[in-house]
Amino acid sequence: MENIVLGIGVAALAGALATVAGAAEDTESDIGSQGDPNSQVQLAPQMGYNHRIFNKAIAGEPPAWALWIAIGAGVAWAFMIMNVNPVLSIIIGSILASFVQGVYATTAYLGRTASLAKFGQPVYVDILKSVTPVTVAHAFVAIFTTVTIVYLMNAVLGHPFPLPILGIIWGIALGAAGSAVGNPFYGKERQYQNQKFGAGVPISASGNIVRYAEAGERSSLDNGWFTSKFGGPASGICFGLIVFFELWRHLIFEHYFGGWGSVMMGAIIVLIITIMARYIEVWARKTYGPYTAPEEEAI
Amino acid sequence: MTVKVEASADAIPHNTLLMVGIVGSILCIYLTYLNTITGLELFSFFGGLGAVIALIWGTSTIKRLCSYGIGTGVPSAGMVAFGAGIIAMLLGTKFGIASPIAALIIAAVAGAVFGFLADNVLNMKIPVLMQSLAELSVIGALTILGFTAMATGDFTFSAISAGTISIFGFAMSSANASYLGGGVIAVAFMLGAIAIQHPFNAALGPSNTQDRTLMLAAECGFLSMIIMAVISFAFIAVGAALVGLLIAIIGWGYTYTQFIELSKRDAAAWLDAKPILETEA
Repeated sequence: MENIVLGIGVAALAGALATVAGAAEDTESDIGSQGDPNSQVQLAPQMGYNHRIFNKAIAGEPPAWALWIAIGAGVAWAFMIMNVNPVLSIIIGSILASFVQGVYATTAYLGRTASLAKFGQPVYVDILKSVTPVTVAHAFVAIFTTVTIVYLMNAVLGHPFPLPILGIIWGIALGAAGSAVGNPFYGKERQYQNQKFGAGVPISASGNIVRYAEAGERSSLDNGWFTSKFGGPASGICFGLIVFFELWRHLIFEHYFGGWGSVMMGAIIVLIITIMARYIEVWARKTYGPYTAPEEEAI
Repeated sequence: MTVKVEASADAIPHNTLLMVGIVGSILCIYLTYLNTITGLELFSFFGGLGAVIALIWGTSTIKRLCSYGIGTGVPSAGMVAFGAGIIAMLLGTKFGIASPIAALIIAAVAGAVFGFLADNVLNMKIPVLMQSLAELSVIGALTILGFTAMATGDFTFSAISAGTISIFGFAMSSANASYLGGGVIAVAFMLGAIAIQHPFNAALGPSNTQDRTLMLAAECGFLSMIIMAVISFAFIAVGAALVGLLIAIIGWGYTYTQFIELSKRDAAAWLDAKPILETEA
């Protein structure tokens, strides 16, 4: 009974940590301009719109976050093996991972901007100085909370996977949650505020992102200010719910096969979802069929 | 058939980088064998250098592969490389002293099979796909093997799957405390997989230059080496780990400042707190 209560408590705590992680991750990727919306930032100078927006292309968000969390978890694991206090180990791991994230952010901005020299897009050093520390700070929050979740799963709930492997898995999940939920808000709402609401972005407006702010020129920090109100918390709820529900599966099935019961149940759930997705796809193809041109009405 | 579009003319041809990459990284990984001969752990850092050399070669391969219009496929190429490479590397470590060579051969075969399937069965029809995927698998295997040798001081399966944990001063052997059992190989995997695709992905664009891209590759390699050096404190002697960390930090500092200099050279303008320069459209 005590174990179950402890498990429920850990699940609630991990869910809360994950909510913070999701919100910080999305705000970080919007300030740094990572992921899908960044393609418009990259395109803008080629269409003749020079800008002062950060341009942080480091793979997609899921692989990049898999690396940050894996570094955090791996370094924390190494320090814990050396009998260092777990809290201190997680902090050291998170600091090192944030450092790597910051270095990758600067090289991504410099590399991409220097390669746009043909279109006259200059490198703004003040952007590098002002935006990078903000993204690193948000990354630290997201990495620290996620590595803590991973540690709780491994040490308290007895998950059979070692820390760095759990780190990769949850890093991918975190990056995917932020990329899928928060980024469209930044890409479609913030970058294209000058377009008529709900009209979509016509091809002719591609790259014509909003470059001037209410006063002065728009910086990526303004984007963080905007998306942290809605996009960030929405990503947080998404990732929080993922972690929370996921832990319930673990709590219920962990007592079978020495901890591997929950892993097997996870595989079965993935299988069921795959079959469901396939069924929906086949049903949709059969019901709606291939695209047919609308019939001309006789006038 | 896809059309080839060169990102930039290369001063150093790809084949030169390929030869230097294979020979250099194999040689460096073998130099960690001095650990076993001398009984010291001082030579572990050569593994990290081998990984850096392999990553520079890998950046050139990715650039060559991606000149066939694989835009968003750049990060995926890194993942494929290390996915195939990690299997070959694990299998290769079973061959004792011949491990690096075995990993190279197994990775080349596995990569060629992947390349054949992608090119002919999935019909991607990219002329260099088979050779590139074979190269990338070898690079993946050698990079992970290099980082493994750097962290543990050895590249054989028995060494990386055995670990000791000290509880109240008593050393107990525990597979969970080993390089493989603790899952540290996952960190090596991600460190390499992001480092191999980042240089070309970040330096992507019409004004791409080869020296800047390769300098960034070395920078990413040394950055990954710093992290592996920190993790190596758990496996090897403090002095040996410190040597590795020091070399990694010096290498990273040098390549990072060089990369900033090269970016300054290539950029349209280098401005501090200046308004948007409007180009006449």
